[in-house]
Order: sequence, then structure tokens, then C-alpha cells
Amino acid sequence: MTTTATASARELQRPKPSLVPAGLLQFLTWALVAVAVIGPFLPMLYASVRDRPLYEHGGVFSLKGYGDLLHDHAFWVAAWHTLQYAVGTTVVAALGGAAVAILVARTDLPGRAILGRAILLPLLLPALGIVLGWIVVWGPGGYLTLEADRIHVPTLSINTIPGMVLIEAARLLPVAYLTCEAALARADSSLEDAARSAGAGPLRVLRSVTIPMLRPALLNSATLIFTLAIASLGIPLLLGSQRGINMISTYLYLNWTNGANPDPPLVSAGAVVLLGIATTLLVLRNRLLGAEQRFVSIGGKAGRTALVSLRAFRWPLAVAILLYLVFSTLIPVLGLAAMSLVVVLTPLVAPWKLFTWEHWHALAHDGVFRNSIEHSLMISVVGAILTTIVVALATLVAHRSRFPARRTLPFLMLYPRATPGLIIGIGFFWAYLLTGAFGDYMRTSIWGIMLAFCVRDLPFAYVVMYPTLARIGEELDRAARSVGAGWWTTSRKIVLPLLRPAVFASFILMFVELLNDYDPALFLVKPGTEVIGTTMLDQFLQGMVGPVAALALVQVAATVIVLAIGTAVFKTRVTGGHDA
Amino acid sequence: MPEIHVERLVKQFGGQRALDEVEFRVDDGELFTLLGPSGCGKSTTLMCVAGLQRPEGGRIVVGGETFFDPGRRVNVPAERRNLGIVFQSYAVWPHMTVAENLAFPLKLRKLRRQERRARIEEVLALVEMTTYADRYPHQLSGGQQQRVALARALVYSPNVLLLDEPFSNLDAKLRERARLWVKDLQRTLGITTIFVTHDQDEALSMSNRVLVMNFGEVLQIGTPEEIYRNPADRFVAEFVGRVNLIPGTVAAVESGRIVVDVDGAGRRLTVDAPDGRTRDSSVVVAVRPEVVTLLPEGSSELNGTNTWDANVHAVSFLGDHYEYALEAGPLSLTVQSLRRLEGPRLKVHIPPDGCTLVG
Repeated sequence: MTTTATASARELQRPKPSLVPAGLLQFLTWALVAVAVIGPFLPMLYASVRDRPLYEHGGVFSLKGYGDLLHDHAFWVAAWHTLQYAVGTTVVAALGGAAVAILVARTDLPGRAILGRAILLPLLLPALGIVLGWIVVWGPGGYLTLEADRIHVPTLSINTIPGMVLIEAARLLPVAYLTCEAALARADSSLEDAARSAGAGPLRVLRSVTIPMLRPALLNSATLIFTLAIASLGIPLLLGSQRGINMISTYLYLNWTNGANPDPPLVSAGAVVLLGIATTLLVLRNRLLGAEQRFVSIGGKAGRTALVSLRAFRWPLAVAILLYLVFSTLIPVLGLAAMSLVVVLTPLVAPWKLFTWEHWHALAHDGVFRNSIEHSLMISVVGAILTTIVVALATLVAHRSRFPARRTLPFLMLYPRATPGLIIGIGFFWAYLLTGAFGDYMRTSIWGIMLAFCVRDLPFAYVVMYPTLARIGEELDRAARSVGAGWWTTSRKIVLPLLRPAVFASFILMFVELLNDYDPALFLVKPGTEVIGTTMLDQFLQGMVGPVAALALVQVAATVIVLAIGTAVFKTRVTGGHDA
Repeated sequence: MPEIHVERLVKQFGGQRALDEVEFRVDDGELFTLLGPSGCGKSTTLMCVAGLQRPEGGRIVVGGETFFDPGRRVNVPAERRNLGIVFQSYAVWPHMTVAENLAFPLKLRKLRRQERRARIEEVLALVEMTTYADRYPHQLSGGQQQRVALARALVYSPNVLLLDEPFSNLDAKLRERARLWVKDLQRTLGITTIFVTHDQDEALSMSNRVLVMNFGEVLQIGTPEEIYRNPADRFVAEFVGRVNLIPGTVAAVESGRIVVDVDGAGRRLTVDAPDGRTRDSSVVVAVRPEVVTLLPEGSSELNGTNTWDANVHAVSFLGDHYEYALEAGPLSLTVQSLRRLEGPRLKVHIPPDGCTLVG
């Protein structure tokens, strides 16, 4: 301790403040997010109270759109269908997800670690492609349907509401699983241990302690599943509308695209109504759980001994979950694969007699298919990078700054999650129409679709980043401030480097979501700006089943490869976020 | 090295007053401690000085430079205050090596590589961590991380050092060593330091002066001896060290002394006290367990003033002393004794100058 402070005795020059004031940067980030999220809804609201489409001159204020909507019998039929569909989906998916979560987290189910991860696949695979796969195998002329007919086994038609409910629920079941599994992993297991030591048997503990503890998580995920089911467009359009069963989403979509007699004010009014419902549900969820507490990263306590021994049911239950995975992912994907390689997929003729490369050939050479793959890849790469950057900044502003409006950011960034994709599509359509040269450019290029996709999927990026940020102690930033770093330097040198794993995870997840997104684009797409999703839907409805199957397979393969790379390279779970 | 002036600092948290006109002055080169229970506002005060929290009112001046004065619309941001802070969690950046952690503040100050290296070496030598320059924080123990945090807070020669409960994450043995070591270092560098702790031992052993606070209010400022021997009030007496509180009524007032009728005990206690108490007013007398003398029953030493008989309720052996739980009538007394005294009854003597009025 005899060291005399020689060099350090000299007073140093103090650090200079940075050129760009932190406040300006924070404001710009906030403004960008606010405009992108709120922006598209205002023109839609405006469009809904005009007597004619905004692109026609001489419109005046009118509630005619709402009047027409509420007096249209078809709307009420669609609303009734939507309610049945959403309630059915919610019940099946929420209970199923909770059951799987309990089995994985609290029993000696064989292979529960692997099952617990694989169960997320239905959620991550491209929804539209999987539906097409279902149609190929289980549609009216599908392979399994014909096979079942041949041996006289009655099947449930997927062109009915219960059939659609099963398919939608199979896709959304992991949402409930994620939420419930996280709740179970967080729950203090000593609560259950205490019940056991008080003399309760395992099943009794499950019934009296574990399941009641799950109630908030169940309610939370049920609300989210309900919202997502209301917003669903692909399944009702491909399965329901073909048989005249319309939901609100398809009712609006068909009214919009009805070439002979489109009715933009009515569709806008309907979109506003739907948005109102979704927003109410979101606010309800926030009330229930608090805006930011409702997503958690899944860690789980490793090595916790199973609470319940399933005994004889171990294998049957594991097989049941496996069957769910087989039906929800493997069979549709196999169906797509088979379809893409035969002239007609039928059990009546041996498939090798119908073998053909024609569909893949079309995929490789037909301009529309090639363009949509290129566009989708560009949108996914560029969009994932941009969204990740913006959301990383916005998350920092929201949680690590003194910016006055920072508390609005978490809500802004979660809001699109509650917004049906078709509403985002309609919103951006009007927004581009009203913003002059910028809008014209966006309308005629793929970047307009990219922006809509990015806004719709940005909640995933936020939900992946926020929990990681919350784990980075605030004293680390404070220490940087105290040694002389401003907000931006602190963010760049301290917080963002520590956030890196989450930034990568967010990029991977955004890439996958952007690649597979389609419904906002249905309202924005033009010849020359196709993406994979819009092309699949369009071509499928025109009867080009084979090439569409090949295209869907490409999408599935790209998704699986990117997720695998993401998981392997960055050692991060990129599956989170869907429980937000 | 500059002085620190904190004047009438006020801070609210959601309508709750966290700091209530906190006021103190830290002299040049002094180690000044803010002591209080958790939630008392001591860390808030420190963070206001650091600029990491913004008070609603008051003034903060360090070395003649006004850091905060809402009247003059002055609020120097944290990064421009040039203070060194050691945080409770150490906050050593986990993605940087020890040397990189230390280099960061120097890079912000645009030092050349050569000069940076010289300074880093010097400071690492000061905290005896030279061989760890290339390690990452997760390869260091808690005590070593703390040294790195301290080195980082000193490497750019800040005007003032702020220590926010720096020892609370160390285990008991290490804590004692770290205490001595930091105190030595502070004295060697002569750097003006504010130290925040809830641990009275740390406060007493390290500080030049101690400020005791509770519920955002300053209760007493003084040297460790003053705080311990003459606590300003009951809270300070109880918080700093252990104490017997004896409630009573003033029976007589003499010059420099008062006689107290101990409530319900039928005993009288003579207390050295400044004037200003009136007859029949109620008082609380604070007596430290170690100032009381214990004698065998029937001993004739120290008869007379403040010598009572008491029943032994329990004896605990604490290594370097015994602790007696005694009962004198309705009154419970805790008394320390170096000797073990046998018997169900003992004699206690409370010296008048070992008593303080705290209420």
C-alpha cells in the first residue's frame, strides 16, 4: 500500500458529450415504432367513416360502412361461425397445451425433454403450407380421405367447423404449452413438496396445488389463442370458404377482393370492429397479468424429480403426444412431399406410376414461383435485420433510458401481436395510398409488404429480447455512466454486447416469421411483388396443387434449416415469443 | 480533493418521501459514511450525488462545481460528474477482461494506449490484482471482482469515490479484511469518499464521520465515538450497537446529573446528563451492555449509586465474553461480562457516565 499515485494524480480531461444527443436518438426510435405501429390504423379508421373508397374523389363523412356491415346478414353468420371456431380452438388448444405441459414438467413421461422441444414445431412451421398439406391428405379428395372411404371408416371432414377447429388447435396448442410450461418451471416446487409432506398423494397434489397454480397461465394463453383464432385467415379461407362457411376474416377478405363489387368502407368498418375486439382482449390480458410480466424465458429447474409417476400410462401418453406431432406436422409435410412428386395423389394408383419432376421443374423455371421465393428471402433477411435493430434500440429506450414516453413502448411493441394480419394489411393499404410518393413506392415494391410483415411480427423480437435485457443488471449501465459514458456509448459498449445472444435469437425468429407470414400481404400484393405465401394461396386456388406443394416444402425446409442453424450456432432457444 | 456539499435534498418515490431535506458536508479527504437500515434513503442519497437518480429539490456541490441545483436549472448528467463508484453488485462488465474494464473509462477520456497501459498497471498494482489483467470477471472470486470494481472506479482519478454497500456480497471473514484494506487505500490516496452501509461495524470501524438516517431523514452526524456513546435518539442508540433502554421519570435534577425513577422497578438511576430536563418528565435511558459492571451477590464493591440486585435469567458464552440476560424487577437487562459469575442472583452497577438520555 506504499504505491504513490504518480500518473493517476494528474487530473484527466473529462469525456466529451457525444455529438448526437441521446434524447434525439431515443425520440427517433420511439417515433419510428409509434408511427409504424399506430400509423396504419389511422387511415383505416378514416376509411371506415367515408361514404366511398379513399381513392375516389368527393367522399364525405358517413357511417354507411358500419351500417352496411351491421345490416348484412352474412356478417352475422360469419360472426357466429367465428365465435364457434374461436371458442372451440381455445378449449382444445388451451387444455391440450396445459395437459402436455403438466406431463412434460411434472411426470416421468418417457422422452419428455425431447417431446417438450419438438412440441413447438407446429407453431414454427409455416401455417399456410401445413394447411395445404392437410388438404392434400385429408381434404375432400385427399389421400387419407379416399383411403378411409375405401375401407369404410367414417372421417371428420376438415371442411367443417369442427374439422377446422382441430387443425387450428393443433397449430396453437404450443402457445398454451409455452405459457403453462413456463409457469410450472417458475412455480416454487416446495409448494408441491409441502402438500406431499402434509400427506397428499401425487394425483391429489396435482389436482389441489399444481393445476390451481396454472390457472393464471391458462387464462392468459386462452385469451391469446382466442385472439389468434379470431384473426386466422388461412384455414377458414382454404377450408371453410370452399364450402360456404365464412368467418369474419374471410367475410372481409372476400368482400375486399370481390372483383365485381368491392366495398372498401364496409371492409374498413369490419376491420375496425375486429381490431376493437382484439384490442379489448389485449387490454384484458394486460389487466390480468401486467404488460411485461406475461412472457418469460423458459429455463426450468433441471433435475427436478417427477412429481407423478405415470406407471402404466407412461408409454401410451408419450405415444399420444408423438401422434399429435405426427399428425400436426409430419403427415402434412409428407403429404406435401408426395404431392410434389406425383401427377395425382391417390390411393387408387401406385404412386411410382404417377411419378413426375414436373412440379419441381415448374418451381425452378416459372417466373412467379422463382420471384416469390426471391422476394420472400429478401424480405426475410432485410426485414429481420432491420426489425432486430429497431426493436433492440426500442427495447433499450423502453427499459434503459429516461425518455419521457418510454413506458408506451412495451405496449406499442406488443400491440401488433393482438392485431389480425388482415387488419395490418388493410391498414397499410390505406396508409400507402395516402402518403404520396413514399406510399406509391411502397405499394409497387416488395418493401411495402416487408414493412407490413415487420410491424406484424416485431412483438416476437421484443419478447425474445426483453427477458434477456431484464437479466442484465442495471448497475452495469450505471457503472458505465459513472465512469463517463453517455447513454448511447453505454448502450453500444455495455448493454448491446451483453444482449447479443438475444439479438441473434431475435434475428432467427424474425427471419422465420417473415418468411412464413402471408395474410397482411394479401391486401398489398401486386403482380411483381409476390411472396411465397400469396403465391401459394393464389396458385392453389387456381388448382396448381403440385407446384404449390413443392413451394410449401421449400418454405418448410428453409424454416427447419434456419431454426436448426440458429439453435446450433448460437446455442439459443429461438422458440420463445409465441406465448406473448 | 474536493469537499461535498449536499443541501436540503428531497426525493419522492410515487408520492412517498424517500429523502426529506437531507443535508451534510463531507470534508476534503474524509471517509464519510451513510448508515441506516435498508430503505432508509442512504443509497438514494448516494445515487443523487452520482447523478443516477434525480432529486426533486436541494443542491449538490462537489469541489465548488454545482452538480444539481433546480433553482439554477443545473443538473450535470452522471457521465460528466467524474466520480468513481463501486456498486453493491460490483457491476464489473462481464464481456470485458479486467484490463478492458479498466481501459473503458480511459478510452472515453481519449488517453493514448501507452498512457492507458501505464495507468491500468499502476491501479492494478494498487489493488494487488496485477496478475489478473487478462481474466474475465467470471473467472474471479467475489473479493477479486470487488477489487476490480474499485480499481475501475479509481483508474481515471475521479474527484470523489462513492461506495454503495461494497462489502455486502462478501463472506464474513473476507469482509473484515476488505474493510481494513479499503480504509488503508482511501487514506493512502486521500480521496474524498462517501460510503453507504447498513452494517454498523463497517460504519464505526472505517469512517471519519458517520451520518445515521432513517425514513429519509438525517438523525445524527458525528464521529463513530460520538454516534456510539452519545446517540441523538432512541433509533440511533438501537441501530448502532446493542443497548438496554430503561424508561423512567425524572425524580430530581442536579447540575449535570439527573435522578430517574425507573418505571415500575422501584429503583433509581443517576444519569450524567446535560441540563434541560424538568422534574416529572418521562425519559428513556440508554445503557450499552458492556458499560455495566457485574459483581457477585453480596459483594461490597461499588455499593450505593446505581447498584442493583438482579436475577440471572440466562447466560450465553460468546467466545470472547459472556452475555447475561438479567431481570431487575420488571426490567430486562442485557449485560456483557468478561468473567463468568456463578449464582442465581448478581449485583449490577451502571456507571452514571455510561448512560445517555434518548427520549
